[in-house]
Amino acid sequence: MSIQWVEQVLQLTVQMGTVYLLASLGETYAERSGVLNLGLEGMMIMGAAISFIFSIAYGHLLAIFIAAIVGALMGFILSILAVDMKLNQVLVGLALTLLGIGLSGFFTFPEIRKNILLKLNPSLPEEMLLTQQAEKLPEIPIPVLSDIPILGKMFFSHNVLVYFSLILSILMWFILFKTRIGLTIRSVGENPSMADSLGVNIYMVRRATTIISGAFASLAGAYFFIGFHPFWREGVTAGRGFIALALVILATWSPLRAILGAYLFGGVETFQYRLQLFGLGAQSPYFLAMLPYIMTIITLIIISTESIKKKVGAPASLGIPYSREE
Amino acid sequence: MTELVSLKGIVKHFPGVLANDNVDFTLIRGEIHALLGENGAGKTTLMNILYGLYRPDSGEIYIEGRRVEISSPRDAIKLGVGMVHQNFKLIPSHTILENIILGLKEVGFIINYKKISEEIRKLAESYGWRINPNAYVWQLTAGEKQQVELLKLLYRDARILILDEPTSVLTPQECRILFQALRRMTKEGKGIIFITHKLDEVFAISDRVTVMRKGRVVITKETNKTDMSELAQYMVGRPVLFTIEKKESKPSGEAIIIKNLKAFNDKGVLALKGVELVVKKNEIVGVIGVTGNGQQELVEVIAGLRKAAEGSILIDGINIVNSSPDRIIKLGVAYIPPEPLKYSIAPNLTIVDNLFMKAYRYKPYSNGILINWKKIYKKADELIKNFQIVSPSLSTKAKSLSGGNLQRLILARELSGLIGDKIPKLIVAAYPTKGLDIGATEFVHKTLIGYSRKGSGILFISEDIEEALMISDRVAVMHDGRIVGIFKPGEVDIEKIGLMMAGVQVASAI
Amino acid sequence: MARTSTIPYIIKIQKRLYYSRKLSILTTFFAVIIAFGVAGLFFTIIGLNPLEVYSYIGGVFASPTLLLESFKRAIPIGLAALGLSIAFRMNFWNIGAEGQMYMGMLASTGIVLLHVYYGLIPDYLVLLLMILAAFFTGGLWCCLPAFLKAKMKVNEILTTLMMNYVAMYLVDFLIYGPWRDPKGYGFPLSVPFPEYSKLTVIFGEFAYGGLLLLSLTAVIVFIILRYTKLGFELKVVGEGVETARYAGINLSRVVTVGGFIGGGIAGIGGLTIVSGIIGRLRPRASPGYGYTAIIVVLLSALNPWLIIPISIFFGGLFVARDILQATLRIPEAAVEMYQALIFLFIVIGEFMKRYKITITRGGLDEYSMG
Repeated sequence: MSIQWVEQVLQLTVQMGTVYLLASLGETYAERSGVLNLGLEGMMIMGAAISFIFSIAYGHLLAIFIAAIVGALMGFILSILAVDMKLNQVLVGLALTLLGIGLSGFFTFPEIRKNILLKLNPSLPEEMLLTQQAEKLPEIPIPVLSDIPILGKMFFSHNVLVYFSLILSILMWFILFKTRIGLTIRSVGENPSMADSLGVNIYMVRRATTIISGAFASLAGAYFFIGFHPFWREGVTAGRGFIALALVILATWSPLRAILGAYLFGGVETFQYRLQLFGLGAQSPYFLAMLPYIMTIITLIIISTESIKKKVGAPASLGIPYSREE
Repeated sequence: MTELVSLKGIVKHFPGVLANDNVDFTLIRGEIHALLGENGAGKTTLMNILYGLYRPDSGEIYIEGRRVEISSPRDAIKLGVGMVHQNFKLIPSHTILENIILGLKEVGFIINYKKISEEIRKLAESYGWRINPNAYVWQLTAGEKQQVELLKLLYRDARILILDEPTSVLTPQECRILFQALRRMTKEGKGIIFITHKLDEVFAISDRVTVMRKGRVVITKETNKTDMSELAQYMVGRPVLFTIEKKESKPSGEAIIIKNLKAFNDKGVLALKGVELVVKKNEIVGVIGVTGNGQQELVEVIAGLRKAAEGSILIDGINIVNSSPDRIIKLGVAYIPPEPLKYSIAPNLTIVDNLFMKAYRYKPYSNGILINWKKIYKKADELIKNFQIVSPSLSTKAKSLSGGNLQRLILARELSGLIGDKIPKLIVAAYPTKGLDIGATEFVHKTLIGYSRKGSGILFISEDIEEALMISDRVAVMHDGRIVGIFKPGEVDIEKIGLMMAGVQVASAI
Repeated sequence: MARTSTIPYIIKIQKRLYYSRKLSILTTFFAVIIAFGVAGLFFTIIGLNPLEVYSYIGGVFASPTLLLESFKRAIPIGLAALGLSIAFRMNFWNIGAEGQMYMGMLASTGIVLLHVYYGLIPDYLVLLLMILAAFFTGGLWCCLPAFLKAKMKVNEILTTLMMNYVAMYLVDFLIYGPWRDPKGYGFPLSVPFPEYSKLTVIFGEFAYGGLLLLSLTAVIVFIILRYTKLGFELKVVGEGVETARYAGINLSRVVTVGGFIGGGIAGIGGLTIVSGIIGRLRPRASPGYGYTAIIVVLLSALNPWLIIPISIFFGGLFVARDILQATLRIPEAAVEMYQALIFLFIVIGEFMKRYKITITRGGLDEYSMG
C-alpha cells in the first residue's frame, strides 16, 4: 500500500475512465438534443475493431481518424433512421449495436483480417498480418507537472487521447452552456416545437449531435484498444457502451459531471481487480461492478421526483421523434 | 403608411367547414384592435393565417403596404408579426433570457449574459414589467410567463402582436399590468390584435373592434362608437328558433346538486370559481358559454377525472367530489367526453373493446378473473342495432369509424345501462354533437331526450346556443368559472344571452 | 383573388389511416429477404461465400440432431418472448428480459443448493419449487421498474437495462463466491443439478419437456391476454394512460401485476437455461437470449402462437453460431450480423407500414379548433 501503489491505481482509474468519458461526451450532446443512441456499444466496438486493423496497416494517426469517420457514419445512419424516418430510437439503436458487434466479430478471424490487411497495405510483413495485438499509444508525460506526487501520475502522464478527452469535456461543457449553439441544442431537446417556430432547424441539429455521438463512441473504442488494452478479443468492449449510457444519466447530462462519473466507473473497475489482493475473494469484483448500475437507477428515480424534475432531468423530448404537425 | 396589416378577401376551407369566408381586416399603426366572436367564428383561424400556421385558399396579405406570403411562423416573425397563444411555448428548465434569445443569430457565438440580461431587463421595464432575466421559467406565474412570451416577440422587434385570449390565465391584477404594457406598446407605434370573447375587455382596452360570426366579418367599428348590447347582438346573431316535438318535462327528484365548486385547470389557474347548479331527474339542463370558461373542468370534476379544490357534488346524497372514476361510474353517472379520439376511444382496439371499456369488469360480462366474450358479443350486436352504429364487423378497429359512428358508440357505451342500473342517474355530455352531420346530431338529440324521459338527469355542454335552446328544459350560462344565469328557453331574449356569455351582469330568471 | 404562389412538388410522408394484415406480413417477409441480400453482399466483400454461410444455417434445420438443439435454445428464448409480449402489450418497453432470466437462474440454483447442501427439500418438490422461485424472482425484478413507471413515470427502458447488469453481476458474484462448487476444480460453476430437477423429467429429454413447458406457457399467456380482465386492462393501458383512467382502470395495479407476470415468465426462461441446457449455473449463462427475445416478440406482433416457431428459428441461429465457431472457417459473427440485419429491416418495415410516401403538389392543412 505504498504511494506508488496509490499512484498506479489513480493513473489506471483515469485511463480506464477515459473510455467512458469519450463515449458519454458525444452521447450527452445527442441526448441533450433529444436523441437516445442505444447504438453506442456497437459504435464503440466498431471503433476498436477499426483502430485495430488500421493501426497495424497504417499506424495510429490514421487509425484514430478512420475510426472516428466510421463512427460518424454509423451516427449518420442512426440519424436517418431516428430523426428523418422517425423510427423507434430504442429499437434502431439496439439493431445498430447488434450490427456493430456482429461486424466487429468478423475481425476476430485471422483469415479475414489477413485479407483486409493485405488489401489495405500489401507491404505488411507476415507476422503483422496474423497478430492479435497492436502497438499501444505512447505515454506522453507532461514535463514538470507529471512529477507532482499523486496528481502528476493521475492527470499528466497519459497518452494523447486522455489529454484530449479532458480538454474536450471542458470545451464541450463551455459550448453547451455558454454559447448560442449549446443553447440551441438544449432547447431542441426540451421543446422542439418552440425551437422550430423560432427558426431552428431541428433536423440539422439532431443530425449533427447524433453524428458526434457516433464519432465519439467510436473514438472511445479506438482509445480503449490502442490506448489502453491492445489485445483483440471478440466482444472486446464488453458492454462499456451501455455503461457510458448509464454514465450520461448519472452525470445528469453535463459534460463536466461526466468526468466525475467516468472516473468513478473507471475507479470501480480498476479496484475490482485489486480487491482480490485484499483477500476479499474472487467474487468481490462483481459486487463492485454492480454499483455503477445501482447508482444510475437511484439517479433515475431521484430525477423523476416532482421537485427535482423541474430543475434537472432528462431532456423533455428525449427519445420522441419530432414532427411538425403536432 | 398607417396600415400595418391588411388582409383582403381571405378564404380558408377545412374539410366540411368554411372557416373564413372572404374576410377583410386591417390593423392600423398604434391601435389595439379587438377581434370578437364565439367559438368557430373564425377569428383564431384568421390569425393563424396571419402568423403563418395556415395558408389561405385565396386572398392577399399586406404587411406595411407590401404584399407578402407567410408560410410559417418563421416567416411571420421575420416580417415583424408575433403571436402569443393560450398555450405558452416555453422551456421551463431554462432561464427567461435563454428562452428569449433562442434562435437569434445576432447573439453571436459566446452568449454575453451580462449585456443581454441588461437589455432584456430594460426592455421589460419600458413596458412596466419587472423581471429578472436569469430566473428560471418554471418559477414564474402565468402572468410572468406571458410577459416572457411577449418579450420573445418584442426582443425581435415585432411590430404586430397577436394575442389569443390572453386574459384567460391572468388574475385581475395581472390583467391590469398587461393592459398597461399594451398601451405602451401602441405608443411606440406597434399594432395589437386582441382576440377575445369578453365584452368588458373590448371596452377596457381596444380602439376598434371587429366582430366575426360563422366565418364572416359582421362589423368593424370604433369601440367608442358602440356599446355592449350592440356588440352582443352582432356576436350572437338572431338564431332561427325551432323546437323539437317535446313534451313538457316533469322533473322529479334531484339527480345532482353542485354547490360552490372550485377547481384548478391544468395550468394551475382557478377555472371553477364557485359553481352552483342543480339538475333534476327527467330534466335536460344545457350549459352554454364560450369554450374555456370552465366547462371542461366542470365535467371532468363530476366524472372524477379532476380534483376539486372546494365545494361539493351530491348524487343521491353522496358527495362524489374527488372519488375515483370507477366509483362514480358505479353510482350511475355516465360521462360522454368531448373529442372522441382523444381518450374516450381507444383507436387501435376493436368496436367491441371500446363498447365494453368500462363494463367489462362487471357481471355478467365477467366473473372472477375471466371475461365472458360470448355474452359481450351478444350484447354488442344488440347495442349496434339499437344505436345504429355502422361498421363492417364487430372486430373492426375503432379508428376506421366515422365521427358520427364513434359518437354513437360512445352513447351506446354510456347510456345503455351496461353497468348497474338500467338507466343512468345522470348523463354528462360535453359537446356531444360537435363535428357531426345533421343525421348524427339528430340521433344524439333524440337519444338524450329519450333518456331524460326515462328518468335520467342530463347535463350537457354545448357551444351552439340554438341547439341548447332547442332541446333543454333549462339553459345555464357559464362565464369565468361560474353559472351566471339560468332560465327556461324563451324566457330570456338573445341579447341578454349574449351579454351573459360575455360576462356582463344581467338580472336573470331561474 | 390571386392564388398563393405555385406550390412545388413535395415528397409527403403521411400517416396511413390503417394497414391491412396483408401489408404487415408482406413487409415482414421483405425485411427478412432484404436482410438476406445485404448480409450476402457483405459476406462477398469480406471474401466469404454467402451461399456457404446460408447452407450452414439451413443445414441446422435439416439435421434432426441439430433441430433438436434448436428446440432446446428456443425454449428460453420463447419463454422470455412470451413474458415480453405481456409487457409490450401494455406499452412497457421491457429491455430487461435478460436480467429477469438471470434472476430466474439465480433463484432456481438457490433452491437446488438448499436441497443438495442442506437437505431442506424433498426430491419430488425440487423442480416445482424451482419453478415457483424462478417465477417469483423474475417477477419481482420486472415489477420494480414497472412500479416506478406507473407511479413516477421513470423511464423503463433505462431502468430495465440497468437491472440487467445488476442481475448479471449478482450471478457472477454468487458463482465466483459462495455458490462455487468446492469439487469443481476452482472453476466458477455450481454443483451440477440432480436429474430430477431438470426438465428431463418429462419424456427423458429436455427438448421435449421444455417444449411442453413452452407450449403450456403460450396457452396460459394466450388465455391471460384474451380471456382475463387483466388482459383486457393491459390492452387499454397500452392504448394510453388517459384512456385507462377514463375507463376506471387502476393503473398502478395493472402495470405492477402485468410486470410481475411478464418478468416471472422470463424468470422461468432463465430456469430452463440452467436446469435444461447447461445443467448447472455458470457466469454468462445466457448468450443474449433476453435481447433476442425482443426481436422475436416484435416479429411475432405479440402473437403467442407465432412466438414458438419464430423462437425455434432464432434458436437455430444460435446453434448455427456454435457450429460455425467449431468449424472456424466462418465466423459466428456472420450469424450475429444476419440477426442484426433482420432486426434492422423489421424496424424499417414498421416505418413502411405506418407511413405512406406520396409525391404531391402542395397539401391540405390539418384542421383544428377554428
